[in-house]
Amino acid sequence: MLKLVDLTKVYRTEEVETTALNQVNIHIKQGEFVAIMGPSGCGKSSLLNIVGMLDNPSSGQYWFGDEEVAGYGERRLADIRKKNIGFIFQSFNLIDELTVFENVELALLYHDIPSRERKERVKEALAKVNIAHRESHLPQQLSGGQQQRVAIARAVVSRPRMLLADEPTGNLDSANGEEVMNMLTELNGEGTTIVMVTHSMPHAQYARRIINLFDGQVVAENLRAA
Amino acid sequence: MFANYLTVALRTLIKHKLYSAITVVGLALGLAAAILIGLFVRNELTYDHNFTDADRIAQIFVTASLPGRAPEDSVSLPMPAGPALKQAFPEVEEMARLASQTSTIKRDDALFTETVAVADPTLFRLFDWTFLRGDRATALDDPASVVLTRKVATKYFGDADPIGKTLLVDGRSLNVTGVMPDLPANTQFAFALLVPMDSPANQLPSWLREHWGGLVTLTFVKLARGASPSVVDAGMPAFGAAIPPLKTSTGEIRFGDILRFFPVPLTQSHLHPARNGQVVGISPLEITIFSAVAVLVLAIACINFMNLATARASLRAREVALRKVVGASRGQIMGQFLGESVLLTALALILAVAVVEIALPSFATFLGKPSLAFDYLSDVRVLAALGGLVLIVGGVGGLYPAVFLSAFQPGPILKGGPAGTGGGRLRVALVVMQFAISIGLMVATGVVYGQLSYAQGRALGFDKENLVVVTDLYGAEMRQKAETMRDTLRQDPRIASVAMAESYPGSATENNTGIHRPGMTDDQALVVRQDAVDDSYFATLGIRFLAGRPFDPQHLTDAVPVEDPAAPDRPRHGAIILNQSAVKRLGFASPEAALGQPLVLPVRTGPGVQVTVVGVVEDFHQASVHAAVSPGIFLLSPDRFSQLLIKVKPGDMPGALDLIDRTWRQMVPDQPIPRVFLDAQLQGIYERETKTGHLFAAFSGLALVIASLGLFGLAAFTAERRTKEIGLRKVLGAGVTDIVRLLVWQFSKPVLVANLIAWPVAWYAMRHWLDGFADRIALNPLLFLAAGFSALLVAWATVGLHAARVAATRPIVALRYE
Repeated sequence: MLKLVDLTKVYRTEEVETTALNQVNIHIKQGEFVAIMGPSGCGKSSLLNIVGMLDNPSSGQYWFGDEEVAGYGERRLADIRKKNIGFIFQSFNLIDELTVFENVELALLYHDIPSRERKERVKEALAKVNIAHRESHLPQQLSGGQQQRVAIARAVVSRPRMLLADEPTGNLDSANGEEVMNMLTELNGEGTTIVMVTHSMPHAQYARRIINLFDGQVVAENLRAA
Repeated sequence: MFANYLTVALRTLIKHKLYSAITVVGLALGLAAAILIGLFVRNELTYDHNFTDADRIAQIFVTASLPGRAPEDSVSLPMPAGPALKQAFPEVEEMARLASQTSTIKRDDALFTETVAVADPTLFRLFDWTFLRGDRATALDDPASVVLTRKVATKYFGDADPIGKTLLVDGRSLNVTGVMPDLPANTQFAFALLVPMDSPANQLPSWLREHWGGLVTLTFVKLARGASPSVVDAGMPAFGAAIPPLKTSTGEIRFGDILRFFPVPLTQSHLHPARNGQVVGISPLEITIFSAVAVLVLAIACINFMNLATARASLRAREVALRKVVGASRGQIMGQFLGESVLLTALALILAVAVVEIALPSFATFLGKPSLAFDYLSDVRVLAALGGLVLIVGGVGGLYPAVFLSAFQPGPILKGGPAGTGGGRLRVALVVMQFAISIGLMVATGVVYGQLSYAQGRALGFDKENLVVVTDLYGAEMRQKAETMRDTLRQDPRIASVAMAESYPGSATENNTGIHRPGMTDDQALVVRQDAVDDSYFATLGIRFLAGRPFDPQHLTDAVPVEDPAAPDRPRHGAIILNQSAVKRLGFASPEAALGQPLVLPVRTGPGVQVTVVGVVEDFHQASVHAAVSPGIFLLSPDRFSQLLIKVKPGDMPGALDLIDRTWRQMVPDQPIPRVFLDAQLQGIYERETKTGHLFAAFSGLALVIASLGLFGLAAFTAERRTKEIGLRKVLGAGVTDIVRLLVWQFSKPVLVANLIAWPVAWYAMRHWLDGFADRIALNPLLFLAAGFSALLVAWATVGLHAARVAATRPIVALRYE
């Protein structure tokens, strides 16, 4: 599904040069569930941003399927991104001004999908995460767990091949955290590739492979038996 | 997708009411100002465009170059010019002349005064007004015919059909042959009734018809299809040379040397530079100035929008990041924000249209164009212009925020990081620009008003207060009555003095003559303005003598005797009073040196009038102060008196007016009293400047209000954003005053910098404007300082409020806040 070859990301300011990712090599297959772990500042988020095509690497190769996308411009990246990748964030990132339904629908607006089909798919996604009864509520009227469920519905409604989750349980209590992990496992079971950044070892255990990052480098890879 | 954009846009608007209100109200005020100015400018630019043959019609202008005087342009031509043009140029297909007069209309026992146009019957072959009643083609064929405008028809005949009915105009009974629509706002024509040139009601003396020395009628020609006005223009020198010369006592006047005619396309006539300095109308410079003001006011409103949108961009950052994450391209995000800005502008437009609707009647009355209309429902062009305005303003205002917001990198933002604080410097630059514009407009307003009060005040050189003029007392019989009236009024204790004269300052009439020292020929004569005045004239107007004395009825040699038609060659003698300019131009060393000196006024036949200088008066403005005071002479020629100037004692005006009116009624019962107040009459002369001044004041005030609105929003936002910093400062020992000073200083800096930009620009522009006046004020540096300080005060008042509120908050609240 994706292959990172000698991938490096350097942030430069006027005075300081920080290497966030240093010669990273990772290969993720279609249908895998990968957890990325590591201490703060180890480069997890930089990695996820590049994998999610929100940012370009400084050097190295990024193969997405058969395409080398490392040098692509914003327009082409946006196009690949919207067709293939869904995102889940620690802070949910729902738009306050939109209702639950509209927040989820947002993910389909930039695809050429007729309005009726769009509505059906939103309802389907909301049902899947058990939040359909709150579709006309605004985000601030929901609990944290409910908000994250909406965020998951938004991530999957466009039926992406890959789901990127950035500490999806970081802002949730343990019960809600478990629930979110179960949903991700379920989605993975349906064939969606999942790449998840997490600090929580118990939640990392849901993944089949754990990649440990330290100072921008892959220091360990553990494969769990299915 | 669009519905989603709309939803987010509207909900964002509602959620942030203060900022939405500031943006929408600011834009609405800017748009309303732009629409009002737009209507005004459009009106000015479309004068007389509506006639079918407008592109083939030219108005003939003339430049009169009188010896010793700067060339003067005029739209009034000698009466014989029109027919001569038609004869001389085969390109001229039709010609029509038109002159204006004031006539008395009698209905039952009531008397009314109306503006009547006297025109060639061919007028309607050039100007195809759609007649409401009657036949345009034949309406002016009969000398006793009269055409009415709709309003006048209703005034005198109600709803009845007036065709065939008679109307008493100046005592002559005329048949109504047509009713035409009321004249629109954008036409140079101004009349209520129209009579043919050979009408018995025509007041023009018949000798003017063949006289090339009087500038009397507006003259229009319709050129044959395909004929170019430049051909006519090229033939004008030959045309001038062919004008028969006028024989005088010592030579002849060759009008071809004095008058240079030139055609101006009808559609360009209204704003032609040759009209500059005339009483009526507006100059192209003012059109440019007002268009610029509209753009500037709009720019200020746009800047508000840009500033608030970018300052508050962080609030939209997450939305932008998310949209990008789910696949929106940068172009789509930009499109969304541009769309939002256009939507906001459209909302503002609705408000602006309401404001214009409310303001238009007073605006139109103020401009003296009551028929100025805002047809946004029926006129597609107006609607298209409004649509265009929304797109342009929305596009300009929204472009920078759109570029700025769409550039956000989603990664860090979605992790809860800052949205980037870029654009701060640009925001400051924009605020500087706003205040520079406001300060510049304030300076301009100050200069316009300063020049105005200067022009209307002492600079006139005479005292205009408490002066009533009974005008247009032509003919021997009227003059006799006026003299009786003068003698009666002089008896009354409320009247300070009464004078008789040929004209009065500010009246449009002007009479010129040649004058020279003995021994010179007519060719060497200086052309001066001459006024026949009596012994009380200078005292009544409060004009000072530099040397000599006023006329004295006791000196029998003062008065210039009337020419005896039986013996035109008989020598005539009299006294003369000169103004300062005439003393200089005639080459006398000083006013005293001129006293007792002989001068000659050439006349048509005979040796001319021999006059002796008995007095010299200070220069005073007889016309607009746009023009320098021209050399002028004053003669005691009672046969030319036609105006009665009455100086009333201060505080006695109502009683005095009553007396004047009563005296008039006793002597002239069949005519309304034609009286004017001199100061009001002079105001008419300065109407254009006065209006320019008021409009400037209004729009520069508005500019400052809109700029302050923006500053208010920006200050509110900054105060909100700096709450944590302020809390920390307070914890570290800062007092309320320190905090207020901190914030106030932050917003004072751009205003101070704005002065540095505004001052030189305003200085340059206003010097240019003042150069249009012969007599002008100097630019006062205090005015510039005052404008800058006013802007600073407004900024302080705006920001201080927020600063005080935030500074007074307990620091712990501030620290907890973020």
